[in-house]
Parts: sequence; structure tokens; C-alpha cells
Amino acid sequence: MSLSATSPLGTGPAAKAPRAQTAGRQEARWVATVAVLLVALLAYFCIAVPDFRDLGVSGILGLSEQFLFTGLIALGEALVILTGEIDLSTGAMSSLSGIVMAALWQQGINIWLAVVLALIISALGGAINGLFVTRFGIASLLVTLGTQFIFGSVATAVGGNAPPYNFPKAFVRLAGTGSVGPIPNELISFAVIAVVVWLLVARTRYGRGLVLIGYNRAAARYAGVNVQRTLFSSFVICGVLAGAAGIFVSGYYNAARDDIGNSLLLPAITVVVLGGVDIFGGKGRMSGVILAVFLLGFLDQGLLIRGNSSLTATMVEGIVLVLCLMLKIALDRRAGVRLKESLQRRFGSARRAAVLPDT
Amino acid sequence: MTTLPTPAAAPASSGGPIALAGRFGDIVLGLLRRREVQLIVAILGLFAICSALHPQFGVPSNIAFILADSVTIMLVSVGQTIVVLGRGIDLSVSPILGIAAVSIGFPATASHLNIWLALLIALVIGVGLGIGNGVLVSVIGIPPIIATLATLTIYGGVQFIICGGYSVINVPAVYTNFGIATLLPGIPWLIVIGIGIVVLAYLFLTRTVTGRSVYAVGNNAEAAFRAGIPVRRILFTTYVICGLLAGLAGFIYLCQIGSATSTSGSDGNTNLYSIAAALIGGTTLIGGRGGPIGSALGAVFLSEALQAMISFRVNELWDPAGVGVLILIAVVADRQGSPVRHVLRRPFRQPAEVAK
Repeated sequence: MSLSATSPLGTGPAAKAPRAQTAGRQEARWVATVAVLLVALLAYFCIAVPDFRDLGVSGILGLSEQFLFTGLIALGEALVILTGEIDLSTGAMSSLSGIVMAALWQQGINIWLAVVLALIISALGGAINGLFVTRFGIASLLVTLGTQFIFGSVATAVGGNAPPYNFPKAFVRLAGTGSVGPIPNELISFAVIAVVVWLLVARTRYGRGLVLIGYNRAAARYAGVNVQRTLFSSFVICGVLAGAAGIFVSGYYNAARDDIGNSLLLPAITVVVLGGVDIFGGKGRMSGVILAVFLLGFLDQGLLIRGNSSLTATMVEGIVLVLCLMLKIALDRRAGVRLKESLQRRFGSARRAAVLPDT
Repeated sequence: MTTLPTPAAAPASSGGPIALAGRFGDIVLGLLRRREVQLIVAILGLFAICSALHPQFGVPSNIAFILADSVTIMLVSVGQTIVVLGRGIDLSVSPILGIAAVSIGFPATASHLNIWLALLIALVIGVGLGIGNGVLVSVIGIPPIIATLATLTIYGGVQFIICGGYSVINVPAVYTNFGIATLLPGIPWLIVIGIGIVVLAYLFLTRTVTGRSVYAVGNNAEAAFRAGIPVRRILFTTYVICGLLAGLAGFIYLCQIGSATSTSGSDGNTNLYSIAAALIGGTTLIGGRGGPIGSALGAVFLSEALQAMISFRVNELWDPAGVGVLILIAVVADRQGSPVRHVLRRPFRQPAEVAK
């Protein structure tokens, strides 16, 4: 038996169809599981935590303002992780983007122009990551580990001793704390961006190429996917989304800080994994990631409202992540993932060793 | 074995002094291709430059400071290296270090805990938390980066709970004296311990069956599995050793700093610096290549570079950028041959193997 069992193009139709079906069913089932968990979580908090229930619909929707920036980073991170790469520089990128926007505005530049310029800077940062990964062929884990430090330092340098605050009201309303009826503006922006990213991954040729690259890079090449360009663009999109997250954070707090994004990276990766995206790429759905944004976010906020400290909440998030993964592994096993594949997924193989930083 | 495989010296043309010179050149070139040698050259070179430019850089006390400062990262990074050699990663080393430091720090300040007992407790805590990681990765089968990401938050919470809003301050002099004791002027005791651990790790990885198996598992887990190597047990062991060394680093951290808080370990970027030291030392994150000596030298180089930046009044805020640049230089240098030529010759990375 060869490794071809994992290649959707490398084998005859007899081998291909069942795998595709199983994988698809597994993914769909996980999305459903996350949805059920989300409903159960909200129900639990509404019943068990009076302070949470008393917030009402608009209050609970308003809570989302606290975690949607993490969600934006997670969307971009999901694109990169689907290809089997990873971007550790997103948190620092958010800080940088927020600081650049604020600094430009302080210099007298129109705030909206500053936003656009900050997003361009973020795209450039993503392009640097992408360039190192595609042109120099360096594992993304290493590249983004390095650029993370660099972006962070640049953000601190740009920010100076007294980072700017008190942005124009129109900006703060749109990016931060404003709302349309009970729905926060941030939620609307997030929804629009999430739908676009979801369509991009689930409904376009580009998105299919993205996932195929993560599943089997050789197959992707043979299927005519421009691997390098797709990888490069996924890093650029990830950078822009992280930059957008930084702008939303700054708007929400009405201040820019050079380390504001640092705490967003790990929750974002947690969201992506919780959403069912395989950390080795090639498997997962954006719908799961979008649901996971709310699952983890409401878990966090609910615990805080219940009176737990933020570090306890973070700890619970870690435990939930482990439990969910155990559940997922159990479900996948029951769905009959072949021993061979589970071995490969768990321990990696020579083929993966050569192309992926799948640590 | 623990180093980059030296490319076989090209057989020089036969006989004559020119050939001899060629052979010698090949040997020198071969040595220079070893990351350890490159790093020693870099460490000495940087030291020479800095000493020439700054009168206080070369004094024994500064050397002692640089060496002692590198020990915590060195120990953690040796543990990290062992995990990485098995194609894992451990993102939870910073809270392990922190938990060890605060758990012995509180009894040490409150009831003058015996220093040897403290050391033992730190090691036991490290092993216990390492077992936690090992179970998640090798028994349950969660990908290492995710499993240790989860334990990073869980252990971080535990550290916070242990502290309960307090910090360890005024650690007894027994501990802090140990932290600053020197064997000879310029050679702190801590570095002796560090070197001892590095040597032990080197012997473990090259002279024991378990240690060699780590390389095999890291190179190709499936092949190792088929060859009868107990892959899960080996992986489990690597996480336990990493935890042990992080615990030891926690003990040393406490002796050196003389205080500890609920964010000790995490606030010093221990995770990333330990990975950075391993990378600069030539260990590759895809496993199976590298070794503890390189990582230890990487830690010394990091410490020296950061100290140099301080000496020359580079604003502290650029420290992380310095580390980042060093990482990028190290990984680009890790590609065989010149990166520029690589770009020109092969713009597209080829998949290593085409499924047949």
C-alpha cells in the first residue's frame, strides 16, 4: 500500500469517492457539533448566570464587540492554516496597524486615509511573510516567528512614549462602539467580512485550490493550482485581516497601543482549531471557524460576567480546546479514518516533513 | 550526529602541495559549514568588535553577566531542542518555568525552604507538567502545537492561581548568592551547570537508544514506527525531559532574579527565545536535525547580542526585532547554498515527493 490513499487525484475513482465523502461528512459533522456547543453554552449562561441573562438580546450581542477582532484575525489565520502553513505574526501585525493608523492621524492625516494606509502597511507585512515562504522556501513557522518580533518592535518604535488616543467620533462609532439598533457596528462589519471570506473559501476556485494545497501540495500542482501565488496571497489576506483587527481594536478602546495585538494571536489560533481546521492544513470549513469565534468569545465573556478572572477564563479556554479536540478525535475515529491516515496525521510522514513545518 | 551533516569533502586531485592545500581548504570549509563552528566564530567575532568599541564590554563581570544571563534560556532551549528533534514543539515551557519558580519561591521566602529540597520540588513540578504535555501529544494524539498551546493557557492559569495576587519578593540570600556565585572571575557557577546539562543532553541524544530514537522519530515517524521504535513512548519522553529542564530553569530563574510573579517566564518571552536559540543553533523545526550544543551556543549568542545592544544604547524596544532578524538570518542560512542563488535557480519550491 502506498501513500496514494491520501491523494485525491492519484488514485482511481473507486478509492477517491469514499474518502471525499467521509472527509466531507466529518467536516460537516464538526460544524454541527460546534453549533450545538454554542447553543448549549448560551443556554447554560442564560440559565445559570443571572447577570448574563439580564443583559438581554442587545446586551449579549453587544458582548461580541469584545472578541470580534480576535475573530477577524482567526479568519485570516484560517486561510493560512488551511494551506498547511501558519502565521504567528498576526498579533504583532494588529498592533502595528493600529499604531500606524493612530500615528498618521496624529500627524494630521485624515483618519479614513490613515486607515487605508495602515491596511496597505499590513498587506505589505503579509507580503513579506509570503515572500519569505514562497521565494526563499522557508517554513512559515520560522518566518513569522521572526517577523512577529520585528513588527512588534516597529510598532513600539512608531508608537513612542505616548501612543495617540481619542480618535474622531465618526471613526470610533463605525469601528468601535456604535451600533444599529441592537446590533453593534463591529458585528455588522465582521459579518460582511466573514461572509466574503467564507464565499472565497467555499465557493471559488481560489478557495478550493487553497484547501487542496494544504491537503496535498503535489496534487494541487498537478490540478493546475498556482501553489506559490495562492500561498503568497493567503499571507497577504491574513495580514490585511490582522491589520483590520488592529484598527477595530483601536476604535473599540479609542486608543492605540503597541502591544494591543499580542494577546490576540493565541485565541485566534484556538478559534481556528476549535472551528475544525486541521492544523496540518487541507481540512476544515470556514463556517466552523465563524461559529467557533462566537463559541470561544461567549465562553470567555460569560465566564468574566460570572466573576471569573480573565486568566481563569483563558485557562478554561485551554481546557475546552483540549476537550473539543478529544471529542473530535473520537468522532473522527468512529467515522472510520484509516489507521494509516491517522498515523500520518499524528506523527507526520516523510512527504510532509519535506514540505511542511507541521510542528 | 547532532550537527548538520558535513557535506562530503570533494575528492581533491591527486598529490602535490596544491592538493594538500585544497584538502585543508575543504576541511576548513567543511568545519565552517557546521553551525556550531559558525556560531563560535560569530560569538567571538561579536565579542571582539564590541570589546574594541566599548571599554566595559570585555571586563570579566560583563562576560559573567552574559554567560549567566544565557543559562535560563539555554536550559529551556536544550529541552525545546529535544522536543523539536522529535518533530514536536513545546509552547508551554514559559509557564512551566514560572510555576516552578513561584511554587518554590513562596515557601522559600515564608519558611526558608532548604535550597536542595527546592531544587527537587522544581524538578518534580517540571516532570509533572511535562507528563501532562506528553499525555496530550502521545497518548491522546493532539498535534503538539495545539496541545501545548492549550497547556500554555492552562498552566498559565495555574501559575496565576498559585500566586493568588501575590508576588515572590526578597528571596533568601542562600538562593540569590547561588545565583551570583562565580567559579573563576568571569565564569559563573550557573554556566557550569548549564554546560553540564548540555553535555548530558548531548550524551543522551547520541549515546543512548532512546536518544537516537528521537532523531529517528523526528526524521520519519512512520518509518521509525515500522522499524519497531516505540514512537509514542519516545515522544512522551521528550516532553517529560523538556518539562524537567524547564523546571530546573525555573529554579535558576528564581536564584538569579530573586523574585517571581504570576507572569514570570511568560513576560520574558521564554517560549520564543528558547525556540529562537534552537533555530539559531541549527536545529530545524521539521525534526531530526540539530542538537543541544548548537542550541546552547545559540542561547549564548542571543544573550551576547542583546547585551551588546544594551551597551551601545540601542533602545530596549528593538530587542525583539534583533531576535527576529537573527532568526531570519539563521533560517535563511540554513537553506543549503546561497539564498540568492536559490531564488534565481529555483523560484518554485518543489514538493519533495510526488504520490505515485
